[in-house]
Amino acid sequence: MDFYFGLAQIIGVHTLLGLSAYILLLTGQVSLAQAGFYAIGAYVAGMLTVLGGWHLVPALGASAVCGAAVACAVGFPALRVKGLMLVIATLAFGEGVRLFFFNFDYQIAKGDLKVGPLGGEGFRQIRFFPENGWSTFEVMLFIWVFVAGAMALLWWFDRSRYGTVLRAVGEDELAAQSVGINLTAVKVSAMTVGGAIAGVGGGLYAHYTTHIEHSSFNILVATFAIAYPIVGGLRSVFGTLLAVIFVQGFLIEGLRFLGDWRNLLFGALIVLAMNLRPSGFLGTGRRA
Amino acid sequence: MLDFLQSLSDGLLFGSTYALIGIGFTLVFGVMHKINMAYAAASIGGAYSGLLVLKVMAAAPPALVFFGAFLGGGVAGALVYVTCFHFIPLRSPLATLMSTVGMLLLIDEIVVHVTNGMPQNYPAMFDDVMLRAGEFTLRGDLLLVFGVAVLCMAALMLLLYRTRLGLATRAVSQQPVAARLCGIRLERVNATTFIITGLLGGIAGALIGASVGTLSPLLTTPLTVKGLIVTVIGGLGSIPGAIVAGLLVGGFENVLQMYRGVTERDLYVMLLLFVFLTFRPGGIFAPRGGRD
Repeated sequence: MDFYFGLAQIIGVHTLLGLSAYILLLTGQVSLAQAGFYAIGAYVAGMLTVLGGWHLVPALGASAVCGAAVACAVGFPALRVKGLMLVIATLAFGEGVRLFFFNFDYQIAKGDLKVGPLGGEGFRQIRFFPENGWSTFEVMLFIWVFVAGAMALLWWFDRSRYGTVLRAVGEDELAAQSVGINLTAVKVSAMTVGGAIAGVGGGLYAHYTTHIEHSSFNILVATFAIAYPIVGGLRSVFGTLLAVIFVQGFLIEGLRFLGDWRNLLFGALIVLAMNLRPSGFLGTGRRA
Repeated sequence: MLDFLQSLSDGLLFGSTYALIGIGFTLVFGVMHKINMAYAAASIGGAYSGLLVLKVMAAAPPALVFFGAFLGGGVAGALVYVTCFHFIPLRSPLATLMSTVGMLLLIDEIVVHVTNGMPQNYPAMFDDVMLRAGEFTLRGDLLLVFGVAVLCMAALMLLLYRTRLGLATRAVSQQPVAARLCGIRLERVNATTFIITGLLGGIAGALIGASVGTLSPLLTTPLTVKGLIVTVIGGLGSIPGAIVAGLLVGGFENVLQMYRGVTERDLYVMLLLFVFLTFRPGGIFAPRGGRD
């Protein structure tokens, strides 16, 4: 049973990652920086609980704040450029964050062993859950509380005036601007919310794996983040959840019996899915 | 000072491969206004298929392997076009972005599967030649890389500016609707562009394999990132821009590798990109009008 709880944990964290890209995709911006915010969240939360001795909940709050602050700071210069330029700018930012953590050492002695991030070797011993005796099931519930919270928040955004504004910018920037919508404010705010969600996701990720390193936040993670909402479709947050279950549950775990061939099928199925449903599983069929 | 010049010249010579990859991204962007994320992977895939020549004929000269890579790259380019672009409507840029990412993963996995995950040795030419001027040396294999890259670029320029096909390609990249009204078949031009960029990519992949000595699927991600950075620094859609930016990035990263080590090198390349995005977002050769 623990296997399924573990899988549910992975699905939960990846849903947070996907949702962080979802809100930005609503405004029509493709960001490959989500892995960067995710990494920042993971390292911040890990360092606070391990080195600072904080409880996990305030540490996750700090992750969210750091993710949001960095996203906001990156948003201003990066959102000056549009479309494909933004893809590349955010890709470079994400890689920059990864390379920063690749070169980042900050260790302190705790008891007889040294803990903390150590460059290429990564950050071991993020043992908040085992130290406090949380079972896999409890960890899963804890993660899903945050997932449900983020989904509810974004679902509510979608129903509200703010969601309409986001989609208006995504449909046609010029038209949105001409009815008095402040494009920069809308895009940067979406980026900030996305950064906060990715930060929380990263913090949770660091704690359930107990070991993080720079390669856990590579381009593949960034592409997964935008893949979920795109494959799922942008009509509602449930598309993202569905896509995460499809990718993590079916493509990665469900096809494990295929052994070596699974990885081959993985890319091919994504190509096929996009050919059959260019606007995603839950897409409207009219717009991308 | 000598060390500086040495790493600068080595970097510039190797940068010609980045320039080729950058040209591939830029050409596809020019005609379709899409990014082909699978391009670097397809190029490496093409280079791998060059190794098939060695399987058939063990004593094949490296030139034949390079030619095999050239053809393999073209096939890979055509394949990427058919699977990721042809059937997906132009209005869905996100879908093509995603499908090419899927293709990137697929090509990587095919390579891993076929080679059992082992890096493959790649034949080099003139690797025993060294041009010396006192302490300063030029590696023969890097000179070859540079020479072949320059030849490819010259051939591409001739194709684009001296043939009917090139005229059609440039017309499509300027005004797809008008080009169609003049009787140019859009699909055919798009497909040909993919084949041409694929051929270029196959050569670039082979050159990289030859100058590094081995070929591994681990090369695709850094190459994708570098190629995209080169495209942006040069200006999206600009071929001379991609050439200049490729050499610039190659030289820059090699000099910083000497001063700051290999782990920090790419961090500075990203910073270089951000400098350009802030102060010259259109790139070195910003296209007139700035459509994107």
